[in-house]
Amino acid sequence: MKYALFLGCKIPSGLPAYETSMRAVLVHLGVTLVDLEFNCCGYPARNYSHEAFVVAAAHNLALAERAGLDLLTPCSCCFGTLRHAMRFLGEDAQLRARVSQVLAAEGLAWSGKSQVEHLLPVLARTVGVDALAAAVRIPHAGLRVAAQYGCHALRPSDVSGIDNAMAPTLFETLISVTGASPVDWPRRLDCCGDPLHEANTALSERMTRAKIDDALASGAEAICSACPHCQLRFDAVQADSPDPSIRTLLYTQLLGLAMGLPAKSLGL
Amino acid sequence: MSPVLFQTALYASLALCALGLVWRASAWFRVRIGTDARAVTPSRRIVALFRGSASALFSRRLFAVLGAFFLDVLLLRRLYTNEKLRWLAHLLIVVGFTLLVLMHALAPIVSAKLFPGYQPTLDPYLFLRDLFGLMVLTGAALMVLGRRSARRDLTQTRDRFGAAFMVLLAFVLVSGFLLEACKIASPRAFYRMTDQFIGTSDPRKLAPLRALWASEFGVAFADMKRPIDPLLVEQGRKLNSESCASCHAKPVSAFVSYPLARMLAPVTSVLDEGHAEVWLLYLHVFACFLGLASLPFTRFFHVVAAPISLLVDAAARDRASPGQGFSSAGRASRRALALDACVRCGICDSRCSVAPLARYLGNPGLLPSHKLLATGALAGGRLLRTGHEDEALRAADGAFLCTDCGRCTSRCPVGLDLADLWEAGRGDLAAAGLPTPAQWVQARPALDWAEFLQARSGLHDLYDPDASSALLSAGRSTFSRCVQCQTCTNVCPVVAHSIDTGHGIDLTPQKVMNLLRLGLRDLALGSRMVWDCANCYQCQESCPEGIRVADIMCELRGLSVQRLGSVRDWKAPA
Repeated sequence: MKYALFLGCKIPSGLPAYETSMRAVLVHLGVTLVDLEFNCCGYPARNYSHEAFVVAAAHNLALAERAGLDLLTPCSCCFGTLRHAMRFLGEDAQLRARVSQVLAAEGLAWSGKSQVEHLLPVLARTVGVDALAAAVRIPHAGLRVAAQYGCHALRPSDVSGIDNAMAPTLFETLISVTGASPVDWPRRLDCCGDPLHEANTALSERMTRAKIDDALASGAEAICSACPHCQLRFDAVQADSPDPSIRTLLYTQLLGLAMGLPAKSLGL
Repeated sequence: MSPVLFQTALYASLALCALGLVWRASAWFRVRIGTDARAVTPSRRIVALFRGSASALFSRRLFAVLGAFFLDVLLLRRLYTNEKLRWLAHLLIVVGFTLLVLMHALAPIVSAKLFPGYQPTLDPYLFLRDLFGLMVLTGAALMVLGRRSARRDLTQTRDRFGAAFMVLLAFVLVSGFLLEACKIASPRAFYRMTDQFIGTSDPRKLAPLRALWASEFGVAFADMKRPIDPLLVEQGRKLNSESCASCHAKPVSAFVSYPLARMLAPVTSVLDEGHAEVWLLYLHVFACFLGLASLPFTRFFHVVAAPISLLVDAAARDRASPGQGFSSAGRASRRALALDACVRCGICDSRCSVAPLARYLGNPGLLPSHKLLATGALAGGRLLRTGHEDEALRAADGAFLCTDCGRCTSRCPVGLDLADLWEAGRGDLAAAGLPTPAQWVQARPALDWAEFLQARSGLHDLYDPDASSALLSAGRSTFSRCVQCQTCTNVCPVVAHSIDTGHGIDLTPQKVMNLLRLGLRDLALGSRMVWDCANCYQCQESCPEGIRVADIMCELRGLSVQRLGSVRDWKAPA
């Protein structure tokens, strides 16, 4: 199990604990992470120019391909963007030809060999639930946790394909492995509001708040995220709000604590 | 050299340098970057600096400042962690140049006071001067080579003044070596000294000394008979130790100038005739003065600004949250200081997350070093002048496409808080009418945009002839299956949460799809819904006909930037 680690832009600048905890957990589970100098996944550029976004994403894919590795990302947005770029490259031959030219100028090439993987299915299927269960030492007995996938980890299903997009269970299974109890919350598949934070702050905050309130009303003690954007958005909205708040945790932290790893090594 | 001329030139260049320094430093309190900086007066910023410095000096943070001075300023720790070769080059220049200034340029007030027996012609000074000079030249050469190889990859900012200053620096060094070589080889200089210290310049009387200095001191006597008699040399050695050795070592320890003097030997008589020793001295000294006077006006002003920036940061550093130790007045000054402290090394550009995009789009305005210049140009009003519209729009694209990944900040060898600068710059751009696309598109109703487009290029633009990609929104087959069932609208969280009156969405996703179905794409481009879309893919996942609603929304956003941008007619605010 060896992957090129694709952290994206948000984690190093805004949520270094995700990187810390992910490395800490994966090293114990026998997953090797290789650091390549990746660039932006292309997500912001998608709102600027279709081709520019594909170029940015393809640049990363080509870097991984040159290293002969699949990419592993803990960011649902990066995951979705990179997967989307693969889809567009696959279905638009003209686009592929033009992007290949751009890549060739930098001595790179894309053939689609390197796959893009999300952290959740790699943990649940590649590492395997049994291996995770064996690694758990201090189960979070009774802790009620709301799973926050991050939209692009699930949708569209023909691009992401990690689970049934309408009724996923993958993250809930991963939560159960740690001894915690996954909470069924009506808004669990809703957007966290982060993409609209700059374009429409008020709307974005209403969306975030609705999710937090829903998780609380459903009896959750913590929201567990598998995307830095969601985690940061929950924290930001709760930071200067007098309204009731809920604990936020990254899945790598929840798992790491259950594995008995010291809190400091998980960025807590 | 005439002392009057020397002193006049020295004081004139010192005065220019001082005026320049004051002018440049005053910008740290004058230049306003960021909307929060507008409310702060220059006097409050000066007060904040003194208050901050005082509180740091009389607290434990003093140790942080001292640590930063040794590690970051003197030893260039941050550059070392980034690029070892450039660190070496920079250190060679800094150490070599500083020691040259102290030991050689300021000899009467430094070396002569510290070392009682100091003579520029004695060892180790003779050796050290060449060593320091060579260090600077080697460092400069490494630096130029490094920049060359970086330029292949990325468009670096052009800086004629900076380049001219580098040439001047090289000229000072080379003229210094040449001057010394000329003096070593010059019979004229030899006779001048014998006249002064032995009381004669008669070649016959000085024959033993001439023999020694020709064979071992590199003087190129045109009338010297070869081979030189070894006995005569031995006799000369005695005279030398009596009259010369106390302040003249063998020039062989000047390991650059001495070989140079040997090479110049065939032309020494010509050089002596032409008084090369005199005009080389003038060139050398006046080049130094010119450098001194022009330093504040080039990017080499960073030798002043960068250390100050590093020390100010260390003084205000809050362990819990870097950069938070500043008041709004302090932040304002820190940003202005950053413009001067940037050394234009380009390390940020080479590590920038959107560098591949900058190359693809042909817009260096996405790269940090260019963004820094644009931020300064915007604050100084230069970016908003008529004729600079394209530059301003490119800068706005740079601000929009920046992902705030923070790599530039973490890699900056001067420790500049670039993330803060970009944030502030975005505020200034927005104030100048250059906000994010979501904001400028939504500032007008969709119908207005459609009218602009109609006036320019025709409203019915379903099959875009310019579109090189197989765009979803232009495809005949994309919408043929849409049955207007409104599922996309019903599952949309944006629609569900849009309760504002007046600022709600104008078109629901299904209505946008319907416009596209009718071939009215330009009418949909300016819709609020397009930019209020959260890209969460609920619509696309739920569409019973498999229409890629969210993908189309993405595409429309890109198209609205390009197409509405072309009819936007942005003008700088008067």
